[in-house]
Amino acid sequence: MRILGLTLFLWITYSVSAQQSDFKDFNFKKVDFVAKNYKAKRLYDLNNITYNLTKDFDTEVEKFRAIFIWITHNISNDYKLYAKNSRKRKRFKDDSIKLEEWNSKFKKIIFKKLIRKKRTICTGYAYLLKEMSDVIGVKAEIVHGFGKTAEVDVEKLEDPNHSWNVVNLNGKWYLCDPTWAAGISYPDKGKFVFSFNDGLFLTDPNLFIYNHFPIYEQYTLLPKPPSLKEFAHFPLLYSDSYTLLESHIAPKEMHQEIVQNDVFQFEYKLASAVKIEDQAFKLVTVSSVMEKTYKPEVSMNGQQVILKHQFKRRGFYDVHIYMNDSIIASYTFNIKKAP
Amino acid sequence: MKNSRLSFVAFLMLCFLSATINAQDIQVKGIVKGKSDSMIEILSGANVYIKGTTIATSTNKRGEFTFPRKLKAGDVLVFSFLGYLKKQVRIRPNSTYLNVILEEDDNEILGAPMSAKRFKSKRNKQK
Repeated sequence: MRILGLTLFLWITYSVSAQQSDFKDFNFKKVDFVAKNYKAKRLYDLNNITYNLTKDFDTEVEKFRAIFIWITHNISNDYKLYAKNSRKRKRFKDDSIKLEEWNSKFKKIIFKKLIRKKRTICTGYAYLLKEMSDVIGVKAEIVHGFGKTAEVDVEKLEDPNHSWNVVNLNGKWYLCDPTWAAGISYPDKGKFVFSFNDGLFLTDPNLFIYNHFPIYEQYTLLPKPPSLKEFAHFPLLYSDSYTLLESHIAPKEMHQEIVQNDVFQFEYKLASAVKIEDQAFKLVTVSSVMEKTYKPEVSMNGQQVILKHQFKRRGFYDVHIYMNDSIIASYTFNIKKAP
Repeated sequence: MKNSRLSFVAFLMLCFLSATINAQDIQVKGIVKGKSDSMIEILSGANVYIKGTTIATSTNKRGEFTFPRKLKAGDVLVFSFLGYLKKQVRIRPNSTYLNVILEEDDNEILGAPMSAKRFKSKRNKQK
Protein backbone atom coordinates (compact mmCIF):
# COMPACT_ATOMS: atom_id res chain seq x y z
CA MET A 1 0.00 0.00 0.00
CA ARG A 2 2.83 2.31 0.93
CA ILE A 3 4.57 1.47 -2.32
CA LEU A 4 1.41 2.15 -4.27
CA GLY A 5 1.04 5.48 -2.53
CA LEU A 6 4.59 6.40 -3.35
CA THR A 7 4.13 5.36 -6.97
CA LEU A 8 1.16 7.61 -7.24
CA PHE A 9 3.01 10.40 -5.53
CA LEU A 10 6.04 10.05 -7.77
CA TRP A 11 3.79 10.02 -10.77
CA ILE A 12 2.21 13.28 -9.76
CA THR A 13 5.36 15.11 -8.71
CA TYR A 14 7.66 13.74 -11.38
CA SER A 15 9.31 16.26 -13.63
CA VAL A 16 11.82 15.70 -16.38
CA SER A 17 15.08 16.16 -14.56
CA ALA A 18 15.61 16.07 -10.86
CA GLN A 19 19.05 17.04 -9.70
CA GLN A 20 21.37 19.21 -7.73
CA SER A 21 21.14 21.98 -10.30
CA ASP A 22 17.60 22.67 -9.06
CA PHE A 23 19.37 24.25 -6.12
CA LYS A 24 22.15 26.03 -7.97
CA ASP A 25 21.16 29.32 -6.37
CA PHE A 26 22.11 27.86 -3.01
CA ASN A 27 25.65 28.15 -1.85
CA PHE A 28 26.34 25.17 0.35
CA LYS A 29 29.70 26.50 1.56
CA LYS A 30 28.42 27.62 4.94
CA VAL A 31 26.32 24.51 5.42
CA ASP A 32 29.26 22.28 4.53
CA PHE A 33 31.56 24.18 6.87
CA VAL A 34 29.17 23.89 9.81
CA ALA A 35 28.41 20.22 9.16
CA LYS A 36 32.05 19.21 8.72
CA ASN A 37 32.95 20.81 12.03
CA TYR A 38 30.05 19.47 14.03
CA LYS A 39 31.22 16.81 16.46
CA ALA A 40 29.23 13.99 18.02
CA LYS A 41 31.01 11.06 19.52
CA ARG A 42 28.09 8.69 19.64
CA LEU A 43 24.66 8.64 18.11
CA TYR A 44 22.45 8.00 21.11
CA ASP A 45 20.91 11.43 21.12
CA LEU A 46 20.07 11.65 17.45
CA ASN A 47 17.28 14.16 18.03
CA ASN A 48 19.64 16.71 19.61
CA ILE A 49 22.47 16.00 17.20
CA THR A 50 20.20 16.63 14.24
CA TYR A 51 18.64 19.69 15.80
CA ASN A 52 21.97 21.32 16.64
CA LEU A 53 23.45 20.42 13.29
CA THR A 54 20.64 22.06 11.33
CA LYS A 55 19.42 24.89 13.57
CA ASP A 56 21.32 27.64 11.72
CA PHE A 57 19.59 26.92 8.41
CA ASP A 58 16.12 27.83 7.23
CA THR A 59 15.45 25.84 4.08
CA GLU A 60 14.77 22.12 3.70
CA VAL A 61 17.58 21.64 1.22
CA GLU A 62 20.17 23.32 3.45
CA LYS A 63 19.12 21.29 6.49
CA PHE A 64 19.17 18.09 4.46
CA ARG A 65 22.55 19.01 2.99
CA ALA A 66 23.93 19.48 6.53
CA ILE A 67 22.76 15.99 7.48
CA PHE A 68 24.17 14.44 4.30
CA ILE A 69 27.53 16.14 4.80
CA TRP A 70 27.67 15.17 8.45
CA ILE A 71 26.90 11.50 7.76
CA THR A 72 29.32 11.22 4.86
CA HIS A 73 32.12 12.80 6.88
CA ASN A 74 31.55 10.93 10.14
CA ILE A 75 30.27 7.45 9.43
CA SER A 76 32.84 5.02 8.10
CA ASN A 77 32.20 1.95 6.01
CA ASP A 78 32.92 -1.27 7.82
CA TYR A 79 34.15 -3.70 5.23
CA LYS A 80 34.43 -6.58 7.68
CA LEU A 81 30.75 -6.27 8.52
CA TYR A 82 29.93 -6.23 4.84
CA ALA A 83 32.02 -9.31 4.14
CA LYS A 84 30.52 -11.19 7.06
CA ASN A 85 27.01 -10.31 6.00
CA SER A 86 27.48 -11.33 2.38
CA ARG A 87 29.02 -14.62 3.47
CA LYS A 88 26.09 -15.44 5.71
CA ARG A 89 23.49 -14.26 3.23
CA LYS A 90 25.01 -16.48 0.60
CA ARG A 91 25.08 -19.45 2.94
CA PHE A 92 21.43 -19.07 3.99
CA LYS A 93 20.22 -18.07 0.55
CA ASP A 94 17.85 -21.02 0.22
CA ASP A 95 16.83 -21.18 3.86
CA SER A 96 14.47 -18.29 4.53
CA ILE A 97 14.14 -19.05 8.26
CA LYS A 98 17.86 -19.02 8.87
CA LEU A 99 18.27 -15.98 6.67
CA GLU A 100 15.67 -14.13 8.69
CA GLU A 101 17.29 -15.18 11.96
CA TRP A 102 20.65 -14.00 10.72
CA ASN A 103 19.21 -10.74 9.49
CA SER A 104 17.60 -10.10 12.86
CA LYS A 105 20.80 -10.84 14.74
CA PHE A 106 22.85 -8.83 12.30
CA LYS A 107 20.53 -5.84 12.62
CA LYS A 108 21.38 -5.60 16.31
CA ILE A 109 25.10 -5.79 15.62
CA ILE A 110 24.78 -3.18 12.87
CA PHE A 111 22.90 -0.62 14.90
CA LYS A 112 25.11 -1.05 17.96
CA LYS A 113 28.19 -0.47 15.80
CA LEU A 114 26.58 2.52 14.18
CA ILE A 115 25.55 4.12 17.47
CA ARG A 116 28.74 3.44 19.42
CA LYS A 117 31.48 3.37 16.80
CA LYS A 118 29.93 5.31 13.93
CA ARG A 119 30.76 2.47 11.58
CA THR A 120 28.26 0.76 9.31
CA ILE A 121 27.40 -0.57 5.86
CA CYS A 122 25.00 0.76 3.22
CA THR A 123 21.71 0.15 4.95
CA GLY A 124 23.07 1.82 8.09
CA TYR A 125 23.92 4.95 6.11
CA ALA A 126 20.53 4.97 4.39
CA TYR A 127 18.74 4.33 7.67
CA LEU A 128 20.56 7.10 9.49
CA LEU A 129 19.85 9.56 6.67
CA LYS A 130 16.17 8.67 6.83
CA GLU A 131 16.01 8.97 10.64
CA MET A 132 17.82 12.31 10.76
CA SER A 133 15.69 13.68 7.93
CA ASP A 134 12.66 12.63 9.91
CA VAL A 135 13.79 14.82 12.83
CA ILE A 136 13.79 17.93 10.60
CA GLY A 137 10.51 16.94 8.96
CA VAL A 138 11.99 15.98 5.58
CA LYS A 139 10.63 12.81 4.04
CA ALA A 140 13.28 10.33 2.97
CA GLU A 141 12.96 6.65 2.10
CA ILE A 142 15.44 3.79 2.05
CA VAL A 143 15.80 2.15 -1.36
CA HIS A 144 17.13 -1.39 -1.69
CA GLY A 145 18.50 -2.66 -4.95
CA PHE A 146 21.50 -3.60 -7.02
CA GLY A 147 24.60 -1.47 -6.80
CA LYS A 148 26.96 -2.01 -9.69
CA THR A 149 30.70 -1.66 -9.13
CA ALA A 150 33.73 -3.16 -10.86
CA GLU A 151 33.56 -6.06 -8.45
CA VAL A 152 29.93 -7.00 -9.02
CA ASP A 153 29.29 -9.82 -11.45
CA VAL A 154 26.47 -8.46 -13.57
CA GLU A 155 25.61 -11.88 -14.94
CA LYS A 156 24.66 -12.95 -11.43
CA LEU A 157 22.45 -10.13 -10.24
CA GLU A 158 20.12 -12.20 -8.09
CA ASP A 159 20.10 -10.70 -4.63
CA PRO A 160 20.00 -7.00 -3.89
CA ASN A 161 23.34 -5.84 -2.49
CA HIS A 162 23.01 -2.12 -1.83
CA SER A 163 20.82 0.53 -0.20
CA TRP A 164 20.49 4.23 -0.90
CA ASN A 165 17.82 6.96 -0.50
CA VAL A 166 15.17 9.00 -2.18
CA VAL A 167 14.37 12.29 -0.49
CA ASN A 168 11.53 14.72 -0.97
CA LEU A 169 12.55 18.37 -1.05
CA ASN A 170 9.95 21.04 -1.73
CA GLY A 171 7.57 18.42 -3.06
CA LYS A 172 9.97 16.78 -5.50
CA TRP A 173 11.85 13.48 -5.16
CA TYR A 174 15.63 13.25 -5.50
CA LEU A 175 18.24 10.51 -5.37
CA CYS A 176 21.32 10.24 -3.19
CA ASP A 177 23.75 7.56 -2.09
CA PRO A 178 25.34 8.38 1.27
CA THR A 179 27.44 5.19 1.33
CA TRP A 180 29.23 5.80 -1.91
CA ALA A 181 29.44 9.54 -1.24
CA ALA A 182 31.35 8.89 2.01
CA GLY A 183 34.42 7.29 0.53
CA ILE A 184 36.21 4.31 -0.90
CA SER A 185 36.75 0.87 0.60
CA TYR A 186 39.94 -1.10 0.06
CA PRO A 187 38.82 -4.68 0.72
CA ASP A 188 42.31 -6.17 0.38
CA LYS A 189 43.67 -3.90 3.07
CA GLY A 190 40.47 -4.00 5.12
CA LYS A 191 40.49 -0.24 5.10
CA PHE A 192 38.09 2.61 4.41
CA VAL A 193 39.15 6.09 3.34
CA PHE A 194 36.84 9.09 3.68
CA SER A 195 36.65 10.89 0.35
CA PHE A 196 33.47 12.89 -0.18
CA ASN A 197 31.81 12.61 -3.57
CA ASP A 198 29.42 15.50 -4.18
CA GLY A 199 28.19 13.81 -7.36
CA LEU A 200 26.10 11.41 -5.29
CA PHE A 201 24.06 14.18 -3.65
CA LEU A 202 20.79 14.84 -5.53
CA THR A 203 22.09 13.02 -8.59
CA ASP A 204 20.45 13.18 -12.01
CA PRO A 205 18.36 9.97 -12.26
CA ASN A 206 19.64 9.42 -15.81
CA LEU A 207 23.20 9.09 -14.48
CA PHE A 208 22.33 7.39 -11.18
CA ILE A 209 20.71 4.47 -13.03
CA TYR A 210 24.07 3.32 -14.42
CA ASN A 211 25.10 2.03 -11.00
CA HIS A 212 21.80 1.79 -9.08
CA PHE A 213 18.91 -0.49 -9.95
CA PRO A 214 16.14 -0.38 -7.31
CA ILE A 215 13.91 -3.36 -6.52
CA TYR A 216 10.87 -1.14 -7.08
CA GLU A 217 11.19 0.60 -10.39
CA GLN A 218 9.45 3.80 -9.36
CA TYR A 219 12.51 4.58 -7.24
CA THR A 220 14.55 5.08 -10.42
CA LEU A 221 12.65 8.40 -10.71
CA LEU A 222 12.73 7.79 -14.45
CA PRO A 223 9.64 7.98 -16.69
CA LYS A 224 10.76 4.81 -18.51
CA PRO A 225 12.82 2.63 -16.17
CA PRO A 226 15.09 0.06 -17.83
CA SER A 227 14.78 -3.66 -17.14
CA LEU A 228 17.27 -5.42 -14.88
CA LYS A 229 18.80 -7.03 -17.95
CA GLU A 230 19.25 -3.69 -19.65
CA PHE A 231 20.82 -2.35 -16.46
CA ALA A 232 23.24 -5.30 -16.36
CA HIS A 233 24.41 -4.40 -19.86
CA PHE A 234 24.92 -0.68 -19.25
CA PRO A 235 28.50 0.60 -19.44
CA LEU A 236 30.21 0.54 -16.06
CA LEU A 237 30.66 3.97 -14.49
CA TYR A 238 32.81 4.79 -11.48
CA SER A 239 32.68 7.00 -8.43
CA ASP A 240 34.44 9.87 -10.22
CA SER A 241 32.00 9.70 -13.12
CA TYR A 242 29.51 11.33 -10.78
CA THR A 243 31.64 14.41 -10.23
CA LEU A 244 32.95 14.71 -13.79
CA LEU A 245 29.91 13.82 -15.88
CA GLU A 246 26.46 15.26 -16.23
CA SER A 247 25.49 12.41 -18.55
CA HIS A 248 26.84 9.39 -20.36
CA ILE A 249 25.56 9.54 -23.94
CA ALA A 250 27.21 6.78 -26.01
CA PRO A 251 27.68 3.87 -26.34
CA LYS A 252 24.53 2.66 -24.63
CA GLU A 253 25.89 -0.81 -23.86
CA MET A 254 28.99 -2.05 -22.16
CA HIS A 255 29.83 -4.68 -24.75
CA GLN A 256 30.57 -3.74 -28.34
CA GLU A 257 31.15 -5.98 -31.35
CA ILE A 258 33.01 -4.11 -34.06
CA VAL A 259 35.18 -4.73 -37.08
CA GLN A 260 38.93 -4.20 -37.19
CA ASN A 261 39.93 -0.62 -38.13
CA ASP A 262 36.49 0.74 -37.28
CA VAL A 263 36.53 4.18 -35.74
CA PHE A 264 34.44 4.05 -32.61
CA GLN A 265 32.81 7.05 -30.95
CA PHE A 266 32.30 7.69 -27.23
CA GLU A 267 30.13 10.60 -26.16
CA TYR A 268 29.71 12.33 -22.79
CA LYS A 269 28.41 15.53 -21.31
CA LEU A 270 30.68 16.99 -18.65
CA ALA A 271 29.29 18.39 -15.42
CA SER A 272 28.78 22.15 -15.63
CA ALA A 273 31.84 23.30 -13.67
CA VAL A 274 34.23 20.70 -15.12
CA LYS A 275 36.97 21.76 -17.53
CA ILE A 276 39.23 19.14 -19.06
CA GLU A 277 42.12 19.73 -21.46
CA ASP A 278 42.17 17.63 -24.63
CA GLN A 279 45.30 15.82 -23.52
CA ALA A 280 43.71 14.76 -20.22
CA PHE A 281 41.50 12.18 -21.98
CA LYS A 282 42.95 8.70 -22.14
CA LEU A 283 41.77 5.44 -23.60
CA VAL A 284 43.26 2.27 -22.17
CA THR A 285 42.86 -1.13 -23.77
CA VAL A 286 43.55 -4.28 -21.80
CA SER A 287 43.85 -7.67 -23.43
CA SER A 288 44.83 -10.90 -21.76
CA VAL A 289 48.44 -10.15 -22.48
CA MET A 290 48.97 -6.42 -22.40
CA GLU A 291 47.72 -2.96 -21.53
CA LYS A 292 48.04 -0.02 -23.91
CA THR A 293 47.26 3.65 -23.43
CA TYR A 294 46.07 5.82 -26.31
CA LYS A 295 45.16 9.46 -26.81
CA PRO A 296 41.74 9.46 -28.45
CA GLU A 297 40.76 12.16 -30.94
CA VAL A 298 38.87 14.71 -28.87
CA SER A 299 36.19 17.13 -30.03
CA MET A 300 34.48 19.37 -27.53
CA ASN A 301 31.46 21.56 -27.93
CA GLY A 302 30.75 23.33 -24.66
CA GLN A 303 30.31 20.51 -22.14
CA GLN A 304 29.72 17.93 -24.87
CA VAL A 305 32.72 15.66 -25.49
CA ILE A 306 33.22 13.20 -28.33
CA LEU A 307 36.15 10.79 -28.21
CA LYS A 308 37.10 8.81 -31.33
CA HIS A 309 39.41 5.87 -31.51
CA GLN A 310 40.35 3.48 -34.27
CA PHE A 311 40.68 -0.11 -33.10
CA LYS A 312 43.43 -1.58 -35.23
CA ARG A 313 44.00 -4.93 -33.60
CA ARG A 314 41.66 -7.86 -33.45
CA GLY A 315 40.78 -9.53 -30.20
CA PHE A 316 38.86 -9.10 -26.98
CA TYR A 317 39.63 -6.00 -24.95
CA ASP A 318 38.52 -4.23 -21.81
CA VAL A 319 38.42 -0.55 -22.72
CA HIS A 320 38.69 2.13 -20.05
CA ILE A 321 38.17 5.87 -20.44
CA TYR A 322 40.10 8.21 -18.17
CA MET A 323 39.60 11.93 -17.62
CA ASN A 324 42.15 13.87 -15.56
CA ASP A 325 43.63 10.55 -14.38
CA SER A 326 40.29 9.39 -13.01
CA ILE A 327 38.68 6.33 -14.51
CA ILE A 328 35.17 7.20 -15.57
CA ALA A 329 33.89 4.28 -17.67
CA SER A 330 34.65 0.72 -18.75
CA TYR A 331 33.51 -1.23 -21.79
CA THR A 332 34.35 -4.52 -23.46
CA PHE A 333 35.13 -4.79 -27.15
CA ASN A 334 35.29 -7.75 -29.44
CA ILE A 335 37.16 -6.65 -32.54
CA LYS A 336 36.68 -8.98 -35.46
CA LYS A 337 38.31 -9.36 -38.83
CA ALA A 338 36.68 -7.38 -41.62
CA PRO A 339 34.47 -9.68 -43.71
CA MET B 1 13.49 34.81 67.02
CA LYS B 2 12.09 36.95 64.25
CA ASN B 3 14.35 35.13 61.87
CA SER B 4 13.12 31.66 62.74
CA ARG B 5 9.49 32.73 62.40
CA LEU B 6 10.26 34.08 58.96
CA SER B 7 11.87 30.85 57.89
CA PHE B 8 8.88 28.93 59.20
CA VAL B 9 6.55 31.01 57.03
CA ALA B 10 8.86 30.49 54.08
CA PHE B 11 8.80 26.76 54.75
CA LEU B 12 5.00 26.75 54.78
CA MET B 13 4.86 28.70 51.55
CA LEU B 14 7.26 26.29 49.95
CA CYS B 15 5.13 23.34 50.99
CA PHE B 16 2.07 25.03 49.56
CA LEU B 17 3.86 25.91 46.33
CA SER B 18 5.24 22.45 45.70
CA ALA B 19 1.80 20.96 46.40
CA THR B 20 0.26 23.08 43.66
CA ILE B 21 3.10 22.18 41.27
CA ASN B 22 2.50 18.51 41.99
CA ALA B 23 -1.13 18.88 41.15
CA GLN B 24 -0.29 20.01 37.61
CA ASP B 25 3.07 18.52 36.80
CA ILE B 26 3.87 14.89 36.34
CA GLN B 27 7.21 13.34 37.08
CA VAL B 28 7.59 10.67 34.41
CA LYS B 29 9.77 7.62 34.84
CA GLY B 30 9.83 4.43 32.91
CA ILE B 31 11.59 1.69 31.05
CA VAL B 32 12.20 1.21 27.31
CA LYS B 33 12.43 -2.19 25.67
CA GLY B 34 12.87 -3.39 22.12
CA LYS B 35 10.84 -6.20 20.59
CA SER B 36 11.93 -8.35 17.68
CA ASP B 37 10.53 -11.66 16.41
CA SER B 38 12.68 -13.67 18.72
CA MET B 39 12.94 -11.63 21.89
CA ILE B 40 12.25 -8.58 24.01
CA GLU B 41 15.32 -6.80 25.34
CA ILE B 42 16.17 -3.75 27.35
CA LEU B 43 17.26 -0.75 25.29
CA SER B 44 20.06 1.16 26.90
CA GLY B 45 20.72 4.58 25.39
CA ALA B 46 17.24 4.98 23.90
CA ASN B 47 16.32 8.58 23.17
CA VAL B 48 13.34 10.11 25.03
CA TYR B 49 12.23 13.62 24.12
CA ILE B 50 9.25 15.94 24.10
CA LYS B 51 7.90 15.99 20.58
CA GLY B 52 9.13 18.92 18.54
CA THR B 53 11.71 20.01 21.12
CA THR B 54 15.23 19.12 22.18
CA ILE B 55 14.20 18.56 25.80
CA ALA B 56 15.41 15.02 26.15
CA THR B 57 17.00 12.27 28.13
CA SER B 58 18.18 8.77 27.41
CA THR B 59 17.75 5.44 29.13
CA ASN B 60 20.44 4.06 31.42
CA LYS B 61 22.05 0.64 31.33
CA ARG B 62 18.92 -0.94 32.77
CA GLY B 63 16.76 0.73 30.12
CA GLU B 64 15.28 3.12 32.70
CA PHE B 65 14.80 6.85 32.51
CA THR B 66 13.56 9.71 34.66
CA PHE B 67 12.46 12.59 32.50
CA PRO B 68 14.41 15.70 33.60
CA ARG B 69 11.45 18.02 33.37
CA LYS B 70 8.02 17.62 34.88
CA LEU B 71 5.37 17.13 32.23
CA LYS B 72 1.78 18.14 31.84
CA ALA B 73 -1.09 15.94 30.77
CA GLY B 74 -1.29 16.15 26.97
CA ASP B 75 2.47 16.47 26.39
CA VAL B 76 3.80 13.95 23.89
CA LEU B 77 6.98 12.00 24.57
CA VAL B 78 8.83 10.40 21.66
CA PHE B 79 10.88 7.24 22.20
CA SER B 80 13.45 6.33 19.60
CA PHE B 81 16.33 3.97 19.07
CA LEU B 82 18.10 3.35 15.76
CA GLY B 83 16.75 0.20 14.16
CA TYR B 84 13.40 0.41 15.93
CA LEU B 85 10.22 2.23 14.99
CA LYS B 86 9.65 5.46 16.89
CA LYS B 87 6.85 5.53 19.39
CA GLN B 88 4.89 8.52 20.67
CA VAL B 89 3.16 8.48 24.03
CA ARG B 90 0.67 11.10 25.17
CA ILE B 91 1.09 11.88 28.84
CA ARG B 92 -1.99 11.41 31.05
CA PRO B 93 -2.45 12.59 34.64
CA ASN B 94 -1.61 9.08 35.82
CA SER B 95 1.39 8.49 33.51
CA THR B 96 4.02 8.34 36.20
CA TYR B 97 5.61 5.10 35.07
CA LEU B 98 5.77 4.19 31.39
CA ASN B 99 6.57 0.75 30.08
CA VAL B 100 7.48 1.41 26.46
CA ILE B 101 8.11 -1.32 23.91
CA LEU B 102 9.57 -0.36 20.53
CA GLU B 103 9.03 -2.64 17.57
CA GLU B 104 12.05 -3.61 15.53
CA ASP B 105 11.99 -1.98 12.12
CA ASP B 106 11.58 -4.47 9.35
CA ASN B 107 14.60 -3.98 7.15
CA GLU B 108 17.00 -6.08 5.17
CA ILE B 109 20.61 -5.18 5.83
CA LEU B 110 22.70 -4.84 2.71
CA GLY B 111 25.84 -3.10 1.63
CA ALA B 112 28.13 -3.06 -1.35
CA PRO B 113 30.95 -0.61 -0.72
CA MET B 114 32.39 1.55 -3.47
CA SER B 115 35.86 0.30 -4.29
CA ALA B 116 38.66 1.87 -6.28
CA LYS B 117 39.11 -1.26 -8.37
CA ARG B 118 39.06 -1.16 -12.13
CA PHE B 119 36.84 -3.52 -14.04
CA LYS B 120 38.43 -6.68 -15.35
CA SER B 121 36.36 -8.91 -17.57
CA LYS B 122 36.12 -12.58 -16.81
CA ARG B 123 37.25 -13.52 -20.26
CA ASN B 124 40.59 -11.95 -19.56
CA LYS B 125 40.98 -13.91 -16.37
CA GLN B 126 40.24 -17.21 -18.02
CA LYS B 127 42.75 -16.83 -20.76
